[in-house]
Amino acid sequence: MAITDELESLRIQTLEAISAAASSGDLDQVRVAVLGKSGTLTAYLRGMGQLPKEERASVGKTVNDVRKIVEEALSSRKAELDAAELAAAIDAAAVDVTLPGRSQQMGTRHLINRITDEVCEIFLGLGYSVAYGPEVETDYYNFTALNAPQDHPSRSMQDTFYVLDRSGDASAVKGESDVLLRTQTSGVQVHVMEQQKPPIYIVAPGKVYRRDVADPSHLPQFTQIEGLVVDRGITFGDLKGTLDYFCKQMFGEERKTRFRAHYFPFTEPSAEVDVSCGICHGEGCRMCKGTGWLEILGCGMVDPNVLEMSGIDPEEYSGFAFGVGVERVACLKYNVPDLRMLLEGDMRFLRQF
Amino acid sequence: MKVSLKWLSEYVEIPDDLKAFCDRLDLTGTGVEGVEKLGEQFDHIVTGKVLTKTPHPDSDHLWVTTVDVGTCNVDSDGNPEPLQIVCGAQNFKEGDHIVVAMIGAVLPGDFEIKKSKLRGVTSCGMNCSERELGLSDNHDGIMILPAHAPIGVPFAEYYQLGDTVLDLEITPNRPDCLSMVGMAREVGAMYRVPYDNPLSEMAASLTLCKKETCPGKPVDVTITDPERCKRYTAHVIEHVKIGPSPDWLVERITALGGRSINNIVDVTNYILYLFGQPLHAFDYDKLCSEDGGAHIIVRPAYDGEKLTTLDGEERTLTSDMTVIATPEKAVALAGVMGGMDTEVTEETTKILLEAATFSRAHTSRTSRNLGLISESSMRYERGVDDNPIADISDAACALIIEVAGGKACSKLDCSNGIVDVWEERTEPIHLIFRIPRFNAMMGADIAPEEIKDILTRLGCEVTESEDEDILNVVAPTFRPDLEREIDLYEEVLRLFGMDRIEPTLPGGRGRFGVRTLAEQRKDIIHASLRASGLNETMTYSFADPSELDDLRMSAEALGLGEAVELINPMSADQSVMRQSIIPGLLRSVAYNQSRGVKNVQLYEIGVVFSAAEGRKKPKEREKLAGVLAGSFGEATWNNAPAPFDFFDGKGVVENLCRELCIDKLRFKALATDEAAHLQPGRAAQVLSGGTPLGWVGELHPLAVAAFDAQAPVVAFELDLNALLKAARHARDYVDVPTFPAVSVDVAFVVDESVTNEKMLQCMTSAGGKLLESVSLFDVYRDDVRVGTGKKSMAYALTYRAADRTLTSEEVEKAHEKLVKKVSGATGAEIRG
Repeated sequence: MAITDELESLRIQTLEAISAAASSGDLDQVRVAVLGKSGTLTAYLRGMGQLPKEERASVGKTVNDVRKIVEEALSSRKAELDAAELAAAIDAAAVDVTLPGRSQQMGTRHLINRITDEVCEIFLGLGYSVAYGPEVETDYYNFTALNAPQDHPSRSMQDTFYVLDRSGDASAVKGESDVLLRTQTSGVQVHVMEQQKPPIYIVAPGKVYRRDVADPSHLPQFTQIEGLVVDRGITFGDLKGTLDYFCKQMFGEERKTRFRAHYFPFTEPSAEVDVSCGICHGEGCRMCKGTGWLEILGCGMVDPNVLEMSGIDPEEYSGFAFGVGVERVACLKYNVPDLRMLLEGDMRFLRQF
Repeated sequence: MKVSLKWLSEYVEIPDDLKAFCDRLDLTGTGVEGVEKLGEQFDHIVTGKVLTKTPHPDSDHLWVTTVDVGTCNVDSDGNPEPLQIVCGAQNFKEGDHIVVAMIGAVLPGDFEIKKSKLRGVTSCGMNCSERELGLSDNHDGIMILPAHAPIGVPFAEYYQLGDTVLDLEITPNRPDCLSMVGMAREVGAMYRVPYDNPLSEMAASLTLCKKETCPGKPVDVTITDPERCKRYTAHVIEHVKIGPSPDWLVERITALGGRSINNIVDVTNYILYLFGQPLHAFDYDKLCSEDGGAHIIVRPAYDGEKLTTLDGEERTLTSDMTVIATPEKAVALAGVMGGMDTEVTEETTKILLEAATFSRAHTSRTSRNLGLISESSMRYERGVDDNPIADISDAACALIIEVAGGKACSKLDCSNGIVDVWEERTEPIHLIFRIPRFNAMMGADIAPEEIKDILTRLGCEVTESEDEDILNVVAPTFRPDLEREIDLYEEVLRLFGMDRIEPTLPGGRGRFGVRTLAEQRKDIIHASLRASGLNETMTYSFADPSELDDLRMSAEALGLGEAVELINPMSADQSVMRQSIIPGLLRSVAYNQSRGVKNVQLYEIGVVFSAAEGRKKPKEREKLAGVLAGSFGEATWNNAPAPFDFFDGKGVVENLCRELCIDKLRFKALATDEAAHLQPGRAAQVLSGGTPLGWVGELHPLAVAAFDAQAPVVAFELDLNALLKAARHARDYVDVPTFPAVSVDVAFVVDESVTNEKMLQCMTSAGGKLLESVSLFDVYRDDVRVGTGKKSMAYALTYRAADRTLTSEEVEKAHEKLVKKVSGATGAEIRG
């Protein structure tokens, strides 16, 4: 058989083998058998030297043609097989996307601190800074400097936790001491006014303590945020505008506020602030006990006595102060049904926020 | 305080719209805490007139009646339509006026009236007996009203049972509002309408004295300390007859939440409710001395003096308390409660009526120290005006004579009528009111006329001054809270209406909201702990005095100081302030575990307290503490979290310190005596260089068990201040490598006692500049392959030069040096 015929037959066999190859592995075997170092076609190329000169050119061309055809066939078959194999692999890799993802647990922030952050953030935006004070106070900072009368009922052993005074000082009322767990964050006001000259714009969050038995709506330990502004020309209208802005930021633009005259020893005039009920929008429902309003904070213009005691001239400066109960906000905004949950550390509660 | 609107409306006009009235009270500072509608039980019960009465066709004792109830029942055209009612009573006739329970009425015993058929005849209601109405036990027939009784009006209205009682929150600065007359004045000022004060008329009605028969003055009063008692008056009323009070008086007393006792006591309470002046009636005969005279002494109690008060309690008094005494004994606790021995009883015929004022401060302290709060003490501690006392006493006398008979002398007619010792008179306070300053401070523009009107209606005398911007104001003596100009501002603002003030925001320049560095770093701490998977919680600052012992924690070893004791704790297990956050967190672990929640990861930042002898205020330090129990969640289809151990706690601390850029973080094994609360061998002190930051470890199984929790519990507690101090703003920049690194793994077999820290020290010091990093990737123990008491520690070392590609010779040389150094220093052998 002439070489060209041999090559023709090799070409046909090879193309058949290529198209018969079922995997890229099979195909590679075909490639090696034909084009490898000791492949059949490679043998022809190697044997060219033994051919008569006049045949070399035509045989060489035929061999090259065959090689080209084989290479093209290999490459196109390889592409086909690769695509099929990728498709098969992709098919095989399909997952049920509804299976849970793989994630690392993220921790959570306590609801009370989350709300405290929110409140502080609102007032930071209004140019306030955050201040802190001690949880154990003297009678002076918790009551006297805040204009509380010497015999104010809130000073009683029924309402205030007194701490054993280790200094040896005696107190006027039986059993009480000059040292106590602060019942309000208002004492921070006094510390700030003593240390800083107006203008003063601060909020002071912190724990406070009152002798209430823990039940769904009371805790002996809870959280307050005190606000204080002292500057020239501060008006009651400024107090209204500020707290109105705060309530809208905190509870929603559609909420209204109302100011009810009230009495606090350290402010005058004093008011309690209600925000319109978010459930009934003021119509009256169970949430707001039919009133359409929810009590949210206490406030007032800083009493001139308080300013004076802290060395600020009330004829020159005026100011306002307010106190927000954070637990109260938690109840109103997040519907916490029982305040004791805030102190139990139940993971099923904590991880909701 | 309870206020009957029926009573109040005798002195001032009250708007018809109850809701609007309550809202106005709320907004002007008198909180409405409750609204009770008396007579509500008589809804759908009306007066009627029997039109016809015919025998029931199928009964020998029932009657079929038609009853006119006026417009209470109308037909479809709106015309009055009589009701057909089947009735079993026999005591009535056509034309009688009766009481009808219509459909919808609910009679006592939850008996609801419905449309029904009685032996085939429709009945649309019930004709009621007194018993059926719950008025009395009389069931002898239906209630027949007088012929002039109106027809078709609600029974409650006809019987005058209808009243609305408000429960008002009177703020402590407003003693004047603790009375009906005071509230009438307040309502008058709210609505700018006049009110009536019945005092002068009532006082003037006491004119019974005839000089010639006047028995003379049997009473004298001595006040030893005017600071405690400014004024004391005594009236003597003879020949009184103690008995039940008339209905109108009982109704007044009970409407305001009081209890009718007898006519004398009821009058004193009535006057107290009406004018806010506490009174006390003594039985004269039990009070007088042997000479027949009553010698009243108002004096401080003796320390340890005993007095049995009206409630039957024997009280031990102190000199801070004031008593009413005779030369023989104390007879009453001034301003708080009368004494048992001189109580008015059924046998009493002669009374001494006390009307006085007592010091606010002493009354308040007495009341607090004895735990005894009365209607009197509540008013005295807020302030009772001494000026109208004689008039009020006269008014009370007149009323006593009206309801209990007897004789008394009026102060007007007879100098012996009343004994009045007035040591110190409360004078009205003169103030100025600067109108422009007021408006500037309120951010309002309130007209001078309105300001004057408000203040006048509150009882102030207002006159204009030479300066048109300034008003002269004399505050009434019944308003002890009006002492300063600002006090007047408050009055005008609240009655003008806070709702009418325009809301604004403060102006002011150059104001910045600033967060301090400490706050920013605390934010980083919280973020880092949350990123480590921990959940923030809050526990009580109160602690059980034994909890540190239970935890095996040594306050001394950890420098926690002494516990801060509460004088009046809520309970024994919350009687001190916490010295560590761990007990609280451990209780939360137990809380979760006992409810089937096994996986607990908690942290808290909070204050701990420590006391020291001679120091007034305790030291407060902020701590950061965390606990880990279980694992990070249940095993899932593709993830099986490993149970927590020491290294999870340590990892949290490492992450935290990385985020805070804390340098030279070290963990030093803690010996048992340094941290008995931790499991030996799994306890470490956390340090930055030489500065201790706190500890991390597995809590001792016995400590965990003492809190009813299940071990293992990994915990850490760090000093927040130390963390903040050690924190840095950011780490220094290090070039990102441009030349390739060479990695070499090496496993050393060392004694168990050789720590990772020691190995790292050796390697880093021997590796020099070329050693870029060391990472422990395996710790392996095997008695046979590694040897008993030994462990294999496998490290991945990375060599790199910043300025060139390292040659293999360079690496080999450096690595050989390292191995040699480590072997020399630790006795390590290379594991083949």
